[in-house]
This record gives sequence, C-alpha cells and structure tokens, in this order.
Amino acid sequence: MAKKKFVVGCFDNEDVLFPAVKKVRTTGYKIKDVFTPFAVHGLDHALGMRETSLHTAGFIYGITGTTTALSCISWIFTKDWPLDIGGKPHFALPAWIPIMFELTVLFAAVGMVLTFCYLCQLAPFVKKHHFHLRATDDLFVMVIECTENTNTEDLKAFLTNNGAIETDVQMAEEGWWIGRYDKDEVLFEGATA
Amino acid sequence: MSVKYESQLREPLVYGNKTYHDVTEDIVRPIEAKPSKLWYIGFYISVCLLMFGVYSVYREVTYGIGQWNLNKTIGWGWDITNFVWWVGIGHAGTLISAILLLFRQGWRTGVNRAAEAMTIFAVMCAGQFPIFHMGRVWMAFFVLPYPNSRGPLWVNFNSPLLWDVFAISTYFTVSLLFWYSGLIPDFATVRDRAKTKLRKHLYGVAAFGWTGSTKHWQRHESLSLVLAGLSTPLVLSVHTIVSFDFATSVIPGWHTTIFPPYFVAGAIFSGFAMVQSLMVVVRKVFGLTDYITMGHIEAMNKVIVLTGSIVGIAYLTELFMGWYSQNKYEGYTFWYSRANLFSPYGWSYWGMMACNVLSPQIFWFRKMRRNLFVTFFMSVLVNIGMWFERFVIIVTSIYRDYLPSSWSVYYSPSIWEIGFYLGTFGLFFTCFFLFAKYFPTIAIAEIKYVLKTTGESYKDNMATIEQKQADEFAHEYAH
Amino acid sequence: MASIRQSFEIPGKMKTWSFALMGIGIVALIAGFVTKGMSKDHHEQDIFLGTLMYNTIFWTLVCNASMFFLCVTTMAWGGWQQSFRRIPEAISTMVPIFGAITLVVLLYVAFSGSHIYHWTDTVAVANDPILKGKSGFLNIKFFTIWTVLAIVLWSFLGWRMRKLSAQADEAAMDGETGAKFILSNTVRAATFLVWFGLTVGSTVPWLWMMSIDAHWYSTMYSWYNFASTFVAGMSLVALWVIYLKNKGYLEYTNQEHLHDVGKFMFAFSVFWTYLWFSQYMLIWYSNQPEETIYFKHRVQGPYKGIFFLNLIINFICPLLILMKRSAKRNYTLVTFMAVLIIFGHWIDYYQQIMGSISKEHVTMGWLDFGILSLFVGMMIFGVSKALASKPLIPKYHPFLKESIVHHT
Repeated sequence: MAKKKFVVGCFDNEDVLFPAVKKVRTTGYKIKDVFTPFAVHGLDHALGMRETSLHTAGFIYGITGTTTALSCISWIFTKDWPLDIGGKPHFALPAWIPIMFELTVLFAAVGMVLTFCYLCQLAPFVKKHHFHLRATDDLFVMVIECTENTNTEDLKAFLTNNGAIETDVQMAEEGWWIGRYDKDEVLFEGATA
Repeated sequence: MSVKYESQLREPLVYGNKTYHDVTEDIVRPIEAKPSKLWYIGFYISVCLLMFGVYSVYREVTYGIGQWNLNKTIGWGWDITNFVWWVGIGHAGTLISAILLLFRQGWRTGVNRAAEAMTIFAVMCAGQFPIFHMGRVWMAFFVLPYPNSRGPLWVNFNSPLLWDVFAISTYFTVSLLFWYSGLIPDFATVRDRAKTKLRKHLYGVAAFGWTGSTKHWQRHESLSLVLAGLSTPLVLSVHTIVSFDFATSVIPGWHTTIFPPYFVAGAIFSGFAMVQSLMVVVRKVFGLTDYITMGHIEAMNKVIVLTGSIVGIAYLTELFMGWYSQNKYEGYTFWYSRANLFSPYGWSYWGMMACNVLSPQIFWFRKMRRNLFVTFFMSVLVNIGMWFERFVIIVTSIYRDYLPSSWSVYYSPSIWEIGFYLGTFGLFFTCFFLFAKYFPTIAIAEIKYVLKTTGESYKDNMATIEQKQADEFAHEYAH
Repeated sequence: MASIRQSFEIPGKMKTWSFALMGIGIVALIAGFVTKGMSKDHHEQDIFLGTLMYNTIFWTLVCNASMFFLCVTTMAWGGWQQSFRRIPEAISTMVPIFGAITLVVLLYVAFSGSHIYHWTDTVAVANDPILKGKSGFLNIKFFTIWTVLAIVLWSFLGWRMRKLSAQADEAAMDGETGAKFILSNTVRAATFLVWFGLTVGSTVPWLWMMSIDAHWYSTMYSWYNFASTFVAGMSLVALWVIYLKNKGYLEYTNQEHLHDVGKFMFAFSVFWTYLWFSQYMLIWYSNQPEETIYFKHRVQGPYKGIFFLNLIINFICPLLILMKRSAKRNYTLVTFMAVLIIFGHWIDYYQQIMGSISKEHVTMGWLDFGILSLFVGMMIFGVSKALASKPLIPKYHPFLKESIVHHT
C-alpha cells in the first residue's frame, strides 16, 4: 500500500460539517473520507456515496440457508433414511419449517457479518491509520487527498474558514496492516509531514 | 440532513447539559476506574454460586440423573422449568434492540446494550439444562446432524427437541453477532482514549481496527437494520419452538394452539422484568442515571403491564377452553390440577396468576411506574411468577396423566438440582459483572446519535419550533 | 407556501362508483334472497346467510382494526401517524354501521332456527353431551347480550377517541394543554384496547365464528382472526392514504409514512402466517381426530385450492413483494398489494365460515362477489362522507410536527 499526503480538517459540530462538505466538494477537492464518532444520517449522500448492497447479499445468504435445510432434510428423510415417524409422510414439510427458518436466519446473519467485516477490513489485530484520535469521541474528521497541485496551506485555510476547528497535513498509509494498537510502529518516515 | 426535532412533550432521554465528549466520559468512566467494593462483593458471591453449580453438575455427571429427584412420572422437573425460564429471559435483549428499533422507540438506546448482554448470558445459562439433562453429556454431540459411521443414522428432524437445538444455537449466534457488531465502534472509542498499554492493546484487538469511516458507518447501519429485521422473527421463533416442545404432544394442558404466541409474550414479559431488575441497580452503581432515566423505567413498566395482560388473556383463554372443549382430560388438568387451589399443585397456579397477571396491573398508575422501589420489587415478583408458570405447565400436566398407576403427587427437587439452578445464577451474574466492568454498558454511538434530538439541553431549544404554525414549520423543514 | 387543503370534496366519480357498487350489491342481495334465501332447501338458505355473515363480520372487524391501530399508536406515543390519522378515524366510523348490519344478520341466524349455529337447535343440544356442556357459553341469551355489547362498545369507545381528536382542530395547544390532551388520549385508547382484548382478542371470534363448528375448538382462533383483520385493516388505511395523496390532499404525508404503513402490512402478513402455521402445524402434528376434522375438508377436500390460494396471497406475495424498501415506498406497488391483501383475507374469512357451513361444495360465485361489492360500495361511500365532514389534518396536534419531519 502506498502512503499518501492528506489534509485533515476537524469539525466539532455536524451542522457545520454538512455545509463544509458541500463547499469542499463543489470547490473540486476530493474528499477521501469523513471519520465520525457515530452514524451521521445523510452524510453518505452528502459525500456522494452509492447505497450499500449489503442487504442484497443478506437476502442471497438467507435463500441459501433455506435451500440447504430443505434439500438436506428431504434427502435424509426420503432417500437416505426414510423412517415412519408418528405415521407422518416421509416428506413431512410442516415439521421442517422451523429448521428451515432457523437456517435461513443463521446463514443470512453470519454471511452478512462476515461480508461486512470483509468489506470494511475489520478483524482482530487489524490496524489502520487514525487521522485523529478524537474521531471516535467527539470530532468529525474530514480527510482530503492531496494531488501534486494541491496547495496545502490554502486548503487548510479554506477548511478553517468553513468551520474546521483544527487542521493539519499528514502522510498516511491508506490501507490496513497487521499490528498492535499499543505499539507505535513507525511504518514509514514522517508520519506527520 | 434531517431536522433534529422532537416534541417537547416527550421527556428527554439524556439529562444534563451534555456534549458528545461528556457522553464518552460518562459511559467509559466505569471501565477506566477501579471497580468499587460493591462490585467485588457481588462478583465473588457470583463466583461462589457458580462454583457450587459446577460441583452440583459434577455430581450429576458422575453419578447420573438419579442425583436429581426426578421420577418416571415427573421427568421434566426443575431442570426443564429452569431451561424455559432462562430462555424466556433471554428474549428481552433482542426484542429491545430489534423490535423497538424497527418501531423506532427512542428509549431503547439507553438500555439495549445491557439487555443484549443479558440475553446472551441468559441463553448460555438456558443451554446448560437440556445438555446436562441428557445424562451422558459427553455424547451431546449426537444431537448434531452429520454423516457418521453409525450407519445412515440421523437425528429426528421431525422432533421439536431437535428444532430447539437449531433454534437456540441460531439465536445465540445471531444475538452474539448483533451485540458484537454494535460493540465494535464503542470498543474503538475506549481504545482511542486508553491510557495504559494493556487496555490499548486489548480494546484494539476487540475493536477490529474500526476507524469510523463514513462508508463503514453506512454499511454498519445497513447491517444493524437487517440483523434487527432478522432477529425480530427469530426471537419469536425461539420461544415458539420451545412452546412446540410441549404443544406438539397430546398431553392435556400442553397441546393447545395458543402456546406459541403466548410463550413469546411471556418471554418478553419476563425478559423485561429481568432487564428492569438489573437496570435499576446498574444505573445507580455506575452513575448512569442521566442515561437510564425514569422515562426509560416507565416505558419498560408499560411493556410489562402490556405483556402481563396479554399473558393474562392467554391464561384465561386456556382455562376457558379447558371447559369449553368438554374434553374431560383437558378439563381435569385445567380445573382440577391447576385452578383448584387445594389440589397438590394448586398453589403454583395461583402463585403464577398473582405474580404475572394481577400484581402487574399496578403499573396502570403512573406513580407506580415511576417508583424505583415498586419497580424493583415487581420485576423480581414477575420473574418468580414466570418461573411458576413454567413449573405449572410442566409439573401439573404430567404428575397425573392418562395412566393413574403412574401418578406421582409429590415432587421436590434435590439439593443438587437446586444447586444447578443456583449455579446458573452464578454464571449469569459473573458474566454480567464482568460485562458491566469491562464493556461500555450503554451504546455510546447510539446515544450520541440521539443526543441532539432528545438531550435535555437541546430540547429547550425546540421551544421556538413549538411556537410555529404547522404549515410554517412544514415550509421550513419538510423534505 | 400555499395553505393546506383541509376539506375533502367527494369527487363525483367516486360517488358514482360507490353507488354503482352498492347497486350491484343490492341486486345481488335481492337475487340471492330470492334464489337461495327463500329456497326450500336448508343448504341453500345456509349459504345465503353464511355469505352475509362472513362479509359483515369481515368488514366490521377490518374497519374496527383502524381504531385499534389508532389506539395502539396512541398508547405507544407515536408521532408519525398524526399527519394521516383522520383516515383511520374515518374508516372506523363504519364500525357502528357495519356493526348494526352484523348484529341483524347474526341475530337472524341465531333466532331463525337456521342450521348454521348447531347449538341453537335445542333438540340436538339435549341429545349431545358435549353441546350440553357448552351451553353455559353457547346459548342465545349470552350470544345476544355479548354481541350487542361488543358492537355498541366498539362504536362508543371509538367515537370517544374521534371526538377527542377533533380538539386538535380548534386551537393551538401550549405545553400544558398538550400534555393533558395526550394523557386523555392515552386513557381513552387504553379503555378501547382493554375492551378490544376482551372481545376481538378472545370471545367474539369464538362466539361468532368458531361456534359454527360447535364441537371444534382452538385456543389460537381469536388471535389468528385478529391478525387477519388487522393486516387487512392496515391495507385499507394504505389505500385511502394513497387515494387522497393522488387527489392532492394530505400534504404532510409522504413516502416516509407510506413506508411505515407498508412495514405494518409486511410485518403483520408474516405475523398472520406465523399464527396460521402454529395453529395448523400443531393440529397436524398431534393428529387428534376432534381437531383435525376442521382441516379435513379444507386441506384434502373441496377447499384445497382456496386453502393454498389463501397462503399464497397472504404470505408468499407480501413476503416477496413487500420485502424491498423501494417497494414499500412505491405508490403503485403498495396499492396493488393492499388490494391483494384485503382480497386475500376476505378469502380467508370465506374459507373459515363457508368452509364450515358448506363442507362438500365450494360455493364461491356471483353472490359472494355481489355482496362484497355491496360492502365495498358502502365502505367507499361512508368513509368518503366521514372524511369530508372533518378537516383532513389535525393542525394543532402536539405531535403533528414530528409527523411532518418523519423519516425512516
């Protein structure tokens, strides 16, 4: 993964953040991400993100669960091991509904959580660069990727004018790596430029 | 961005003049502070109970089920009663998180984390009972369907007891995932303000490298919503399937079609009572009265009176049908073995009626709903009543069945049977104490999300909105 | 901003339609009375009365479900429904009218010595120990008193809720009056709900419907019927909301509200299926003749098609179609689903009542659809009248603003 240069602007109020996001985007800067302490409603749309299709994946996992349950049980009870249980037909569908339902939910839930972790690169021992430690506390941290033409001082001033209470420039690793949060591993020189 | 507005008639859900940072401080403080003496005392008592439970189970495993006072007639005594009781308690967490999320009841944010934790611990306790009831517990893996070398030998997919295996394990897994996915951002909050290396490391591992990226939050929201949507029918299905254990049979008092929804209502009822018992204590001990307010307690008491009344209608429906069916076995079970106070187990039926149906009616009164002492007392009473309910269902139906020669009037549990039950209390509270100390007991991110809508100081600002005419307001804010 | 349109003017077309539907219905009613009602054949008479029974009961309970919805959301301190609350209110004004018709039909069935309620036949009861044992509940006196009481109290308690709601049109409320207003709303809603639980949630479906199979019993029966009428009731609310939106009324109601109504339709369709499955599976599983007899001719006999149609319309369709978020926000799809769900539960009532009256033959035909059209016509006429008589938006309701900014 490459390390890149970013300009960081911190906001302490979402009512200031929204107009700022709009301004920054219309001016033509590319917002890499905004880190927030909680899910801010509508921020994804303000940043021009597309809707997630995680729920569609969940639907497919669910259907897989239903199919697995039905096909396994019907094979076992009609082909592999047909038994007379309480005089019921071998294909005793009403009695299988509960397990079919449970497996639907199980597959959907487990599949979705795994997909979520995969998409967001979340796992134990995964470490990422944190632009500001208070992003999980009370700051809304806007990160703008720099190009060769970006004048960082101008951009910082621009952010301050739009309500940022703190700005700085950081060189940061974009992706994730395996690491521990208590060790200050310096993976690259000059974490803050 | 939507307007942060809520009617001023609603009580604030967060008291005090809080900022986002204050919320973090308040909720993380118990994690960072040394536990109080009270915590240690409670924790050690729980561990002692757990040890006693372990010893009781050791006796049962070594010497067999004979260590319990079950007999041929009453084969499901305390053990299955306790199982159903714990599973029932394990319903409130998911209900609060999932159903109340879908119905957008804002007050859930204060209590959902602890309720979900409670759910998971309660299900862990519940699982012990059927597993050890098997007797040869080392053979417990036989309940799993897998291709094996015993010929084509499979589990019975038509048996409600097997449905239970699937239901409880699914429920446990999904609740755990739901709970943990909600915890990830809060662990990150604890991690990013940790002062000691060990804490930073451990919470760093637990937080999965969460950064709070907008895209991640978007996916997280979608995940929470779908998991809530899945958990809602799941939570219904679990107690439904537990009720099928009884209702698919032909035992009088067990085979009745209303069992599934009535069990679910009862489960919610007892689960809320347990949440209530715990929250009344936790909010005081950890100084969280600004977040778990009287409004929260009152709302939960309303749910208790509602579900208690639904359960009441179900009891009466059953009792009525016991007569209306003109089936003499049903009639005998309901009108002699249960409703007759002077029959051998009549006391348990009337104990159940008193605790579950009659006494919760006190919560029709607002004063009572907002009285902490009454709330705590009632929550314990309801849980006793719900234990009676399961005892009534199990014991009064089977102590006299179709074969009079095997009637057995008297059943009382042995010390090891009781010890097992006490041991699960130990397990439950040990887990809960650890949770309360090391985990954020309130969902930090969710409180921050609703803070500016329902926080006390923010609500005052809404006075100007309240003055406006509806059309003027709509003109300004409607999307 | 243009001011909101508060008074609903009944479009001429709607009037024409409602009269046409009622006209068809009356013709069918008369034709049915002549060909079946006056027939010498008891069976034909029963079919005529049964058709009237399931339509009256169905529409009374569906309209009553509107008031249930209002009371439940009031108890839960809901804010979102305020912008369209006048619609369920208007629908619930049909309860006294449909209730009165139900009363007449049921009392006629009970007193005329028809064969539908087997327990009214004194000779049969005397020779049947089971019916004799039940006579403490299944007797004409109790039936009459309870039916009258149920209908009168639903109407009265619903009227009290609506009357209180009118206060929200009069003058702005300050904090204190607002709080008082909400409190009296909750008290009245609670009264209604308690009575609802004692009637729809338990006794009334046993008395009116389950007693047709006088020997058969199921503890689930009433809750099942509640779910059935509630989901149909929500669909009816959705239909009226969409109709008024299309006509340019209800400015504060939008897709967000429709989405939530759609959620109710979806969730309670699943809930209905859950109750359906629980009742059916338990009876199927334990396989006791006195219980399975109810399903014998429904699953294996002539009602087989209707039985499975019932499941497809009321479960599979809502599950697959309403699951998606975009579907619940789409006016056309919700309209389609609402019509389908109402029709589906009407079919459910058909098979519940006619399946017990006419076990050998499925009688679905012109008479059923004729009577249906009579009730739909009356419903359209009555509800539009009620809507026109009151402002469409409770302008000063303390929670209205929450409804305006409501989003899912």
